[in-house]
Amino acid sequence: MTPEALYLSPTAKLPYCRGCGHLLVVRQLSNALEHLGLPPRSVVLTTDIGCVGLADSLFPYLHTVHTTHGRSTAFATGMALADAILEPQGLKPIVMIGDGGAMIGLLHLVHAAQLNVDITVLVHNNFMFGMTGGQHSALSPLNWVTATTPEGNWTPPLDLLSLLRTAHAAFLARQLATSQELASTLADAINFPGFSVVEIVELCTAYGTRWNQVSGASLQEIILRQGYTLGEVETEMERPTFRELYRHEMESPRPKRAKPAVPCINAPAKLAGEVRLVVAGTAGERVQSAAALFCRAALAAGLYSTQKNDNPVTQGSGFSLSEICVSPKPIEYTGMESPDVALVVSEDGWKELQANGTVAACREETLLLLDAEIEAIPPRGRVIRLPLRREAHPKRAALSAMAAWLAKNPLLPAEAWQAVLAAEPAERRAESMAALEVGRRLACCSGGL
Amino acid sequence: MLAEGALAAGCRFFAGYPITPASEIYEVMMRELPARGGMALSAPDEISSLCYCVGASLRGLKAMTATSGPGWALMIETAQYALMTETPVVVALVQRLGPSTGGATQGAQGDIGLAEFSTSGGYTLPVFSPSNAAESFELTIHAFNWSERLRTPVLLLSDKEVGMTSEVVDDEALQNPELVNRELATAQADYAPYAAQEPEGVPAFAAVGGEIKATVTGSAHDSQGRLRKNSPQVIDVLQRLQRKIEAHAEEMALVRPDLDPDARGLLISYGVTARAARQAVGKLRTEGWRISFLQIQTLFPIPRKWLDRAAAGVEAILVAEENLTGQYRAALTPYLSGKRIFGINRIGRLISPSDIARAVEGVMA
Repeated sequence: MTPEALYLSPTAKLPYCRGCGHLLVVRQLSNALEHLGLPPRSVVLTTDIGCVGLADSLFPYLHTVHTTHGRSTAFATGMALADAILEPQGLKPIVMIGDGGAMIGLLHLVHAAQLNVDITVLVHNNFMFGMTGGQHSALSPLNWVTATTPEGNWTPPLDLLSLLRTAHAAFLARQLATSQELASTLADAINFPGFSVVEIVELCTAYGTRWNQVSGASLQEIILRQGYTLGEVETEMERPTFRELYRHEMESPRPKRAKPAVPCINAPAKLAGEVRLVVAGTAGERVQSAAALFCRAALAAGLYSTQKNDNPVTQGSGFSLSEICVSPKPIEYTGMESPDVALVVSEDGWKELQANGTVAACREETLLLLDAEIEAIPPRGRVIRLPLRREAHPKRAALSAMAAWLAKNPLLPAEAWQAVLAAEPAERRAESMAALEVGRRLACCSGGL
Repeated sequence: MLAEGALAAGCRFFAGYPITPASEIYEVMMRELPARGGMALSAPDEISSLCYCVGASLRGLKAMTATSGPGWALMIETAQYALMTETPVVVALVQRLGPSTGGATQGAQGDIGLAEFSTSGGYTLPVFSPSNAAESFELTIHAFNWSERLRTPVLLLSDKEVGMTSEVVDDEALQNPELVNRELATAQADYAPYAAQEPEGVPAFAAVGGEIKATVTGSAHDSQGRLRKNSPQVIDVLQRLQRKIEAHAEEMALVRPDLDPDARGLLISYGVTARAARQAVGKLRTEGWRISFLQIQTLFPIPRKWLDRAAAGVEAILVAEENLTGQYRAALTPYLSGKRIFGINRIGRLISPSDIARAVEGVMA
């Protein structure tokens, strides 16, 4: 087999119109691959939609992936990313995409440039959509006549290479399809170890030359009129490649965020049935983390628990609440039909419980432990008011409320609390213990709990 | 737990984009996957996320992404590409209240239709729906296994309530299904990338970058992967894509049945609502109601034999789901002929055991 036969099939019937730039490109791509001597199985030709997308069938020994419109770059990026953690490495994805595909898939080009992933993208810029009937594209020059701009294009064309340069693309070049240097530019791009793009300027002979007074000879003039240059564009070529960046990142010491440990204790909780509890307060005041601490203590004491959090779409403002169920048996329904206990430590929390129907769902026997600053009068339930925010701190009020409730209703053995607090980071532990202490103290002075 | 399931299933590639309520999966994968020899990466949008996963899978890695309704809407084109090219990939779709951006922090089961009926041609996408943390782990492994075995995209349909509620999981009780890997092509001169032994078979896989030439295309193709028009072989391939799923429907069927042989009514549910339903059934039975319960975990393909078995002898069937129009009920109805079928539907908050009990009593009284 001749080297050439490894790439472009010599018997291939090229499915392009007479004079189409794609004819030149597929031949020069084959020449570039032959020049580089790349083993065919190390190359994957990833083609986009449009006439250029038919090129994959012309290279019978390369891996070929014919994709969806504009996404060829993204699929090729995925292959190259995966290749970076496989042995042996060295897959070379080459993307063939048109000017239309480059625009609809612009984001994929930008991200591939940022990653500096080892793929080569050939953008076949014939200034229009050919396969679909000659509509104008984002890269059409001004005054370019197309099916959709019969009076000439009036939107300025996108300078794709300048845009990709700002995305840190490492190798950028522009060539005419008719250039004698195309094969060597393609070879340089493919040989480049990071992200490379070659914009190949060509003509659609079905529509471009029919509606515009142009020929192959005037291509250069069109390009220069737009202020573009031919050949390689100066870039940050010394950037590390994706493989180097990723390896470096993986070899750097990464702080491990340990999951909070849940210790086992030998003092199981004596709980007859399930208890449903809602804790509500203000975002950023450690309502949900207090709930999580309680659930860990319940787990340490051998109970099942569920914790269902809610907050507005923003993370740090408005209400924050947790609906908790603890039970000696596995828990099915995680919602709150009617709470046994409601710990409400701020006005925000109260308003949300009113809005979401929890207040209305309280029973006469529901314990409502409210911060003293909440002025509302619940329609029913056993209501206790304690100065949690003032005595503890707004950020410790939820935990203090729990301690106050549990002081008179020992759901969990003291060992469970001690065990989960011991597993907390030292700073947080001191704060939590102080909060629990305030809660217990307030409970002592209060009847009704 | 869904992320843990993916890790246990052998997932080695994850690309994600932030979206509530699926971001926790993204964060866990970013933290855990590289430490276990895989790669996790941030994509610039959901389209890229799934394209990267499909590309990685074409290279030979098990891959997954996670999103919510708005992100899935963007991924549908690529999911269809995975279907057409027979590329294994798993998408975790953690539902929230829709339509459009909807309610990011509110749960819902409103994407049944968007998930299942998202392909031109109406192909069956396997969909598994966990109701709790343990099932999230187990069904994720099943999802990967079926994705590999049948070379198809598979959806995990979770929701905010299942995905973001913390709960206690008994490690020792977790099922660890045996892992399945896609069948690899062995080097041979006459390898045809889209040819299978049987009309409902699955072709052997040749990885991009391997010794055997991979030919991949999302356009209508024959068994060789050649674009063809008016070729009976193309139609054969298009039919095989559906037949391979249907042929394994019963094997794929995962349910948690709780049937009463003398039941007059059958309650069907899935996902988070199945939990309220199970609780309601327990209460209803203590009050003397004869009712069967079927929690469906494999939503699609529809587990028809289980439906037949559960519906045998009952007069009324109720389907409880957290959406407005009864999307899954509509999908089940053609297979429940001769029965009175009712929906238990609400949106905006969980359907409660009382909601369900009241509806059952109303129908069966």
